[in-house]
Amino acid sequence: MANITKKVSWSSRGDEPAPAGEGTPLLNGAGGAARSYSRQFSGSGIFQIGRLSTVDLEEDPAPEEESAISRPKEIPHNEKLLSLKYESLDYDNSENQLFLEEERRMSYMGFRCLEISRWVVCALIGILTGLIACFIDIVVENLAGLKYKVIKENIEKFTEAGGLSISLILWAFLNSVIVMMGAIIVAFFEPIAAGSGIPQIKCYLNGVKIPRVVRLKTLVVKVCGVICSVAGGLAVGKEGPMIHSGAVVAAGVSQGRSTSLKKDFKIFEYFRRDTEKRDFVSAGAAAGVSAAFGAPVGGVLFSLEEGASFWNQMLTWRIFFASMISTFTLNFFLSIYHNKTGELSNPGLINFGRFDSDSVEYNLYEIPLFICMGALGGLLGALFNVLNYWLTIFRIRYIHRPCLQVMEAMLVAAVTATVSFAMIYFSDDCQPLGEDQAENYPLQLFCADGEYNSMATAFFNTPERSVRSLFHNPPGSYNPPTLGVFTLTYFFLACWTYGLTVSAGVFIPSLLIGAAWGRLFGIMLAHITPYGSIWADPGKYALIGAAAQLGGIVRMTLSLTVILVEATGNVTYGFPIMLVLMTAKIVGDYFVEGLYDIHIKLQSVPFLHWEAPATSHALTAREVMSSPVTCFNRVEKVGTIVDVLSNTSTNHNGFPVVTRVMDDDEPGKICGLILRSQLIVLLKHKVFVERTRSRLNQRKLQLKDFRDAYPRFPPIQSIHVSQDERECMMDLTEFMNPTPYTVTQETSLPRVFKLFRALGLRHLVVVDSENRVVGLVTRKDLARYHLGKHGLEELQLAQT
Amino acid sequence: MRKKERRNKGGIKLSITPLAAQSSAMVSLHLVPRLIALLLLLPGRIRSSSPVFNSLLSDLQGDPELEERCRDLLRDFGRRYESYVKCAVPSARPVRICENCHIQFEMLRVVYNNISSDQADPENCRDSLLRADRLMLVYMLFQNLEDVWDVAHCSRGYHGLSNITLRYMAKLNQSLSCFESQKNNHSELCRVCRADYKDLNEFYSIMEKNQTLCIDIEDSMNATRRLWSKDFNCSFPREETVPVIAVSSFMLFLPIIFYLSSFLHSEQKKRRLIHPKRAKSNNSLMNIQDKHS
Repeated sequence: MANITKKVSWSSRGDEPAPAGEGTPLLNGAGGAARSYSRQFSGSGIFQIGRLSTVDLEEDPAPEEESAISRPKEIPHNEKLLSLKYESLDYDNSENQLFLEEERRMSYMGFRCLEISRWVVCALIGILTGLIACFIDIVVENLAGLKYKVIKENIEKFTEAGGLSISLILWAFLNSVIVMMGAIIVAFFEPIAAGSGIPQIKCYLNGVKIPRVVRLKTLVVKVCGVICSVAGGLAVGKEGPMIHSGAVVAAGVSQGRSTSLKKDFKIFEYFRRDTEKRDFVSAGAAAGVSAAFGAPVGGVLFSLEEGASFWNQMLTWRIFFASMISTFTLNFFLSIYHNKTGELSNPGLINFGRFDSDSVEYNLYEIPLFICMGALGGLLGALFNVLNYWLTIFRIRYIHRPCLQVMEAMLVAAVTATVSFAMIYFSDDCQPLGEDQAENYPLQLFCADGEYNSMATAFFNTPERSVRSLFHNPPGSYNPPTLGVFTLTYFFLACWTYGLTVSAGVFIPSLLIGAAWGRLFGIMLAHITPYGSIWADPGKYALIGAAAQLGGIVRMTLSLTVILVEATGNVTYGFPIMLVLMTAKIVGDYFVEGLYDIHIKLQSVPFLHWEAPATSHALTAREVMSSPVTCFNRVEKVGTIVDVLSNTSTNHNGFPVVTRVMDDDEPGKICGLILRSQLIVLLKHKVFVERTRSRLNQRKLQLKDFRDAYPRFPPIQSIHVSQDERECMMDLTEFMNPTPYTVTQETSLPRVFKLFRALGLRHLVVVDSENRVVGLVTRKDLARYHLGKHGLEELQLAQT
Repeated sequence: MRKKERRNKGGIKLSITPLAAQSSAMVSLHLVPRLIALLLLLPGRIRSSSPVFNSLLSDLQGDPELEERCRDLLRDFGRRYESYVKCAVPSARPVRICENCHIQFEMLRVVYNNISSDQADPENCRDSLLRADRLMLVYMLFQNLEDVWDVAHCSRGYHGLSNITLRYMAKLNQSLSCFESQKNNHSELCRVCRADYKDLNEFYSIMEKNQTLCIDIEDSMNATRRLWSKDFNCSFPREETVPVIAVSSFMLFLPIIFYLSSFLHSEQKKRRLIHPKRAKSNNSLMNIQDKHS
């Protein structure tokens, strides 16, 4: 503890420019928190938070004794933090008078048109997602094909002439260059596009607004990044990014405009609010899953499982429609690409291939074996997650500069190539080249003529082709030592790769690891059992192993089962896969959380889980809430509003409107809730009482004006309010939400939690028996409680 | 799995006959049968009273429904089948079936086509020979042979010895004679015959790409390759282990340096904690108000 002050001094200088440059601290800053710090603190510790760029932080005089308490403590990044960067979505509809008016004006036909346009939007989401999937697939295939062709020719040349180390260097170089391009665009242009994107989408569906996660720029970077990382030979897949891309497409299409391109198509204006947008994003995520795995039902269930915190049953059918359209589009365009126009049976991006009915048989006595494999998958998954957790912490703490991140990605790419080459070089496993075995890039190396290196099928290939050959190559295509070495190597490579600053998913590497040890397991079984070769089909065990490993890493349940069933086109395996995933989850959860949850925690996102922590019933709203609350009067002075909004220490987003704040600061009775975004629009349009009186013909503000400003409301600094105007008054009655949800102080935490989960709330006003505002509960107040090893723990808020 | 595919392939290739046969088989199980069964069984019933069962079968052989014309066709089919099988079995190892037996197979095919195309009158030979019963023996026999022919890809290479095949043969013989001449000294053999063998190998690769390979050529090439790689041990030796290990360990060393240096030189990222203001559980409303003022 003693050295904390010392650390403060240098880290405050080094780190601050980054977060300050990320954007307006006001909007991206403290989320829905309406924590009010008393005026007496301003100027001291807390106030400095807003002005992060000031270097002379430490020189600030801090005379009051209170500042000693509130001086920011600095700690290394860990998982037990909540970041102020994240806000909630405004899922709850504000039923103010403008809204009522608009609803009154809308005809019956208007509502019908709205419903139809929802379906149109879903169709568009499906089509565009399918097209993107198609694009990624084709480009990756060609780019990787080109790369492997070049290297193959090189290797063939040098096998004969000598100098294979040059091939090794060529391979490493090509990998590094391709990955470097991917890493540069991610690290320098859009860091949020790093990783698989599933944690981010999970957060978004949970109701957290992750800055910049659904922007067009993110989509472009994501798509280019994933092409580079897959073609660059990293141990990654393109399925996770596909889900993110689908979500971005949905968020973009449903708005009918692009803020980045400054183009407004003047369509779908009704959908420009968080409620509608989130619904469409869940459709987009489903369409992404569906395009990635050819699993439309799995996609819907994914959205349901990951984003079911507030879910409208009507939505399900629409989301399913979007998923189906996306699969259809992908199939259609891929059929054109493969010169089989109109043949729609081509499944998604990852084609696990069909399991023939001969090999799918399984028997009752195999069930215990499957369960054992599930447990093994859970163990290995937990190991993977723990290793990745430490690695990620290290990365967040030490490798946070973009150029370092790019370098790291390049190194990983080079090492991946090196390790692969060494494995292939030293492998003695030669297999005859089958006629119907589609080896895309068979490498002979030192094998006899007419044979190929079996290690090369696994390493010298894009990961998903390797998965397919592990599933479907006939028994005897791989020797056990090859599979063992491959599993081990790929496990560490994949673990090392996930979390790099490239866009890449973890699905395929997990499947690959699992398929390898699953196949090994199957071969071993065939060896030790007398009649083993009859029922121990290695392909079957490869599939079960893949399911176990993936389940052990990501810990998804229902949706993963359905995705795997759909991707293999085989319902027969439904039961074993379910068993395996259950076992893997139970075993894995005993040790550590799922990979996505770990990454969500490490990003300090205020994520609301399915249930409130089990032992939290004793906590009441009074202890949870933030207090005191900054409130506004029904008719408030403009100067006061501007001051509160521009106070950088209190990035509040929702303000209860009360009857009257007395001078002695006794809390007033609640009569509504108004959001920062609404106030900003009001200030921008200068809706002041005095003006309305003076200019009667002034256009009345409509809901459309709020929608036009969505989703990037200007920061308060950009709105100029003159000295005269500061003296004006603003009537909030018309614009505030007149019926915000309220609870009494005695409400228990689980109750409050349920309200947040079920209704997607952002602010919950806590009132006393006389309806006077005493506090405000926001997402961060709830998310900070979690069940640790020593009972209920509280996360700390931090500026990131 | 593989077996199944082959069967499927055969099914597609033989498109006309098997489909017709299959459909008729279906029909014969359901509709036509009544008539035929009656025709067959009536005499049977009558004779079933006869004490000797054997005679019943022998009598059926002289089934008056089978015309002499068809009987001739059947006999012809039998003879040609026999001659084909007699040719094929000795050519099984080393595989020379396409080269040796393609004439016999053609003849068999001709007679089968004759049978299957004979459909003039209602009492035609196609129906009475190919689809009169559940077994459909003639059809099955021919089908199996055709499957074998198909899997062997014989139709690719030996529809008349094509130019390419002849050239391949010449190259093969050249290599083999070279092997023969250098038989005693393997290392010398690898050096001397490499050019010939390489030429052969490359030519074979081209043929592989053009899909002009039949099983005979594949097998002969496999045998030659086995000779070359396994018996004479002329594959490329793994002799660059040291440079590969050196480069690999250099590459593996880089990340260690990278992580160490970033651990030592990069500033650790710190998070600034924020203390939210809260009403403590024992705080009364008065306390909150006090603080707020």
